[in-house]
Amino acid sequence: MLRRNRLDQDLDEELRAHLEMRAADNAAAGMPPEESRYEAQKRFGNTALLKEDTRNVDIIGWLDEAVRDFRHALRVLQRSPGFTAVAVLTLALGIGANTAIFSVVNSVLIRPLPYGDPAGLVMVWETDSLHPNPHNTVSPPNFLDWQSRNTVFSGMIYIFDERDNLTGNGDPQEVVVQDVSVNFFPLLGVNLLLGPGFTPENGQAGHDNVVILAYGIWKERFAGDPAIVGKSIVLNGHPQTVVGVAPQNFQWFIKDGSLTGAKPQMWSPFVFPQGWSDHNGMGRFMTVAARLKPGATYSQAQAQMTAIGSQLEREYPDADGHWGVNVVPLGDYLSGELRPALLVLFGAVACVLLIACANVSSLLLARAASREREMAIRTAIGASRWRIARQLLIESLLLAVIGGGIGVSLAVWGTNALLGASPKNLLDLTAISVNLRVLTFAVAATLFAGLLFGFLPSYISAHSRISETLKEGGRGSSSAKSRAFARNAFVVAQLALALILLTGSGLLIRSFVRLIGVNPGFEADHVLTFKVSLPRHKYGKDPTCLAFFQQLLARINAVPGVRSATMESFPPLSSLGAATAVHVLSQPSLAVSDLPVASVRVVGPDYFRTMNIPLLAGRFFNAQELAEEKHVTMINQAFADKYLHGENPLGQKAAIYMKSLSEKEIQPSEIIGVVGDVHQIGLDTAPEPAVYWPHPELVMSAMTVLVRTEGDPLALVSTARDELQKLDPELPMAAVVTMDQLLADSFSRARFTMLLLGIFAAVALLLASVGIYGLIAYSVTQRTQELGIRIALGAQRSDVFRLVLSQGTRLTLLGVSIGVFAALALSRLLATLLFSVSPSDPLTFAGVAGLLAIVALLACFIPARRATRVDPIVALRYE
Amino acid sequence: MRKPKNDLLQGTLALLVLKTLVRGPLHGYGITLHIQMVSKDFLRVEEGSLYPALHRMEQDGWVSAEWGLSENNRRARYYQLTAKGRKQLAEEEKNWERLTEAVAHVLEFA
Repeated sequence: MLRRNRLDQDLDEELRAHLEMRAADNAAAGMPPEESRYEAQKRFGNTALLKEDTRNVDIIGWLDEAVRDFRHALRVLQRSPGFTAVAVLTLALGIGANTAIFSVVNSVLIRPLPYGDPAGLVMVWETDSLHPNPHNTVSPPNFLDWQSRNTVFSGMIYIFDERDNLTGNGDPQEVVVQDVSVNFFPLLGVNLLLGPGFTPENGQAGHDNVVILAYGIWKERFAGDPAIVGKSIVLNGHPQTVVGVAPQNFQWFIKDGSLTGAKPQMWSPFVFPQGWSDHNGMGRFMTVAARLKPGATYSQAQAQMTAIGSQLEREYPDADGHWGVNVVPLGDYLSGELRPALLVLFGAVACVLLIACANVSSLLLARAASREREMAIRTAIGASRWRIARQLLIESLLLAVIGGGIGVSLAVWGTNALLGASPKNLLDLTAISVNLRVLTFAVAATLFAGLLFGFLPSYISAHSRISETLKEGGRGSSSAKSRAFARNAFVVAQLALALILLTGSGLLIRSFVRLIGVNPGFEADHVLTFKVSLPRHKYGKDPTCLAFFQQLLARINAVPGVRSATMESFPPLSSLGAATAVHVLSQPSLAVSDLPVASVRVVGPDYFRTMNIPLLAGRFFNAQELAEEKHVTMINQAFADKYLHGENPLGQKAAIYMKSLSEKEIQPSEIIGVVGDVHQIGLDTAPEPAVYWPHPELVMSAMTVLVRTEGDPLALVSTARDELQKLDPELPMAAVVTMDQLLADSFSRARFTMLLLGIFAAVALLLASVGIYGLIAYSVTQRTQELGIRIALGAQRSDVFRLVLSQGTRLTLLGVSIGVFAALALSRLLATLLFSVSPSDPLTFAGVAGLLAIVALLACFIPARRATRVDPIVALRYE
Repeated sequence: MRKPKNDLLQGTLALLVLKTLVRGPLHGYGITLHIQMVSKDFLRVEEGSLYPALHRMEQDGWVSAEWGLSENNRRARYYQLTAKGRKQLAEEEKNWERLTEAVAHVLEFA
């Protein structure tokens, strides 16, 4: 396009000059000025047509030339298959890795969310200024007040999830149901695949027995029945009418707000019962989202919600003291966790591409030197500088396009490999594909790379002086000097970039080693875990529930191969749990919201022995305490350290605000023992203060059963299921997994990031060492004559060796030092991904700098050895 | 392409232009003036044919072009004969001679 414009302008000017000269001559011959112009114009005839004729000639000619250059470039590349293969592979690696990572970045950070006008959606969380957690769930009364007092949202929705028991149409199955406000789908702007959805009437008590199915369960459990709408299903023993099916790409899974930790399989409207507007009677357990009114900004919403939060704080100091409101755009929230890791990876692959470009550029420079005579001769017979530069650029672009093509195929394969290697729940499996936007990116990366690595060699070649070149045979000329400088600079840059990547992966590896070295606080191997949730309609009474689990554990304990079986309300490392205020009675009493907070874990018999959690003081629960409510509790070390400050915990009484928020209604529990800390949320999170209750103190209907086995835990799954179904054939066995697997999952993200960055760093190391090897090998070839003379004049082999090696050493030292400084500046970006390793960890820096230096010097070693074997006779005859 | 009435014989224009440029670099207008003057106003070069022809000759490498200043300081594009162009001119001259000879023979014979 640019070129066409320039041609047009040139032509215009040329024709105008002609007209003006003719008019001037006419005037000189005595014609009146107007007539002289007119005559000149007349002779020209149809200017537009003339211009078009001439321009066509120009453009066809230009295209012709381009095709000729292209053919020539193809021939040139075919003539040196070795060079072509190395360059194409290097580029394919760089472009492929970039495309693969971009496709992930695209689907996680760029692609629009599957909601109508997703930019207007925000999450609204509560925040507790005493226990910093920006994403705390919301209490129903606060939701109601937010809804009635705000003017910035066009609507608000609430969500909380639970596991329900689906029976009928086949085996009983535990399903995750999100209880939502009736405006859930309209507010998210989602059109259902089937059915009318919830009506406003479903938002009234007694009319809420309807469900909308997720696409997956509709396909699997109901065989994609197109007439499902209007049919009835049975949830927890109650019939529910299906009023819709959600589209395939729809999902709503907000990890911080989920009580089940799993994606929903159906949605049901939930109507607040009487009493849920009472601020002092309700806990915080709901996820809240809202849609901004048209024109309202997110910061206006934050400002207003903060104001409403302070009003509530004053009005209900007991429930809402030091609680505030945090408004987060939905897109930011959803990509928040992955964003730092993805941006680091994207930066890393961009570095790999730069190294690849520097490498190919270096190769081209070496080749350009040997083709200098060809270029000089072409210039001598009339080729313009632009012609020569263009021909070399077309060669570069051709290389880039071939490399890019292979790279995209690599990326398609690599994206699948990436998904295979990525931990589940980290990436959304169905959402990533190589689509149009990814291809556009690949094409742009290819062209960018082609121009980047092609520019300097073309520029230098186009500006070389013919006479010098022809005289000196291509050595010692000014262009040879600028080439040598450029090649040195490229090698230094490659080494520096490689050092940055090596530092990044070194830090992640150190951090990972620290992470897997963390003692989880329990013994994870040979433990099978699965979840049992008792439906309320059948097991609503506490004694029934207690008795059921006691029988279940007794049955499983009797199975051969089982060492011991126990249970817990929420398994370790699941990042699920309940927490509440605890008042140790020996300490002054405070408002509920000012009391210390501890997580509450309900456990079965032999829990600590089965999990191998050490007893630090006192005793375990006895059989009586495990059979009926005796008001006893055990605490962990973190609780003792943080809240008891060295007082003896044993015998102290604590009011645990679980069943009520009013201390008068709470029967305090006596602390009978202290156990070691367990990493409940993840290995990278410090253990929180916790209190343990035996099951009778807080009868929960959903428990995770933990079975320590002699052999492979998974071998016991079917026996355990048989025992469960002997007790109740309608009960599903959910979330079956070994504790080892849970542990592995908990650091799978760290491992994944480390693995990818490690691969990129290895590629960078390889390319950079190939780069420095190529440079030294080339310079040895160039200096064969000189080295031969030195040897002939009596230089020792070791002198020659040192001479060659010193060139490589200088470049390596320079590259490594620049790299260290750059890495020091950049490694801060990794801070959020690191666990107990400083971004400027001296050991890592020293280690990777040493590694890179050794590898680079080894790469120089080979050509240096070759230099010592130069035969002076052969060398002098050279050329 | 359209054909003006008094268009020169196909190929002749190239010959005339190349020959004109033997005297040195010249712009398009100069070429038309020179041909008109030397042929004593008998041959008139149409601008509509001249410029496409000049650009084609440039692409074929017979002439090279460069921006320069005209006698009265106006920017104009100057065309110059290349080595290839000289060879082409010799060829064209030979062809022309053969053609006129052949035409003359036909005329004599009739």
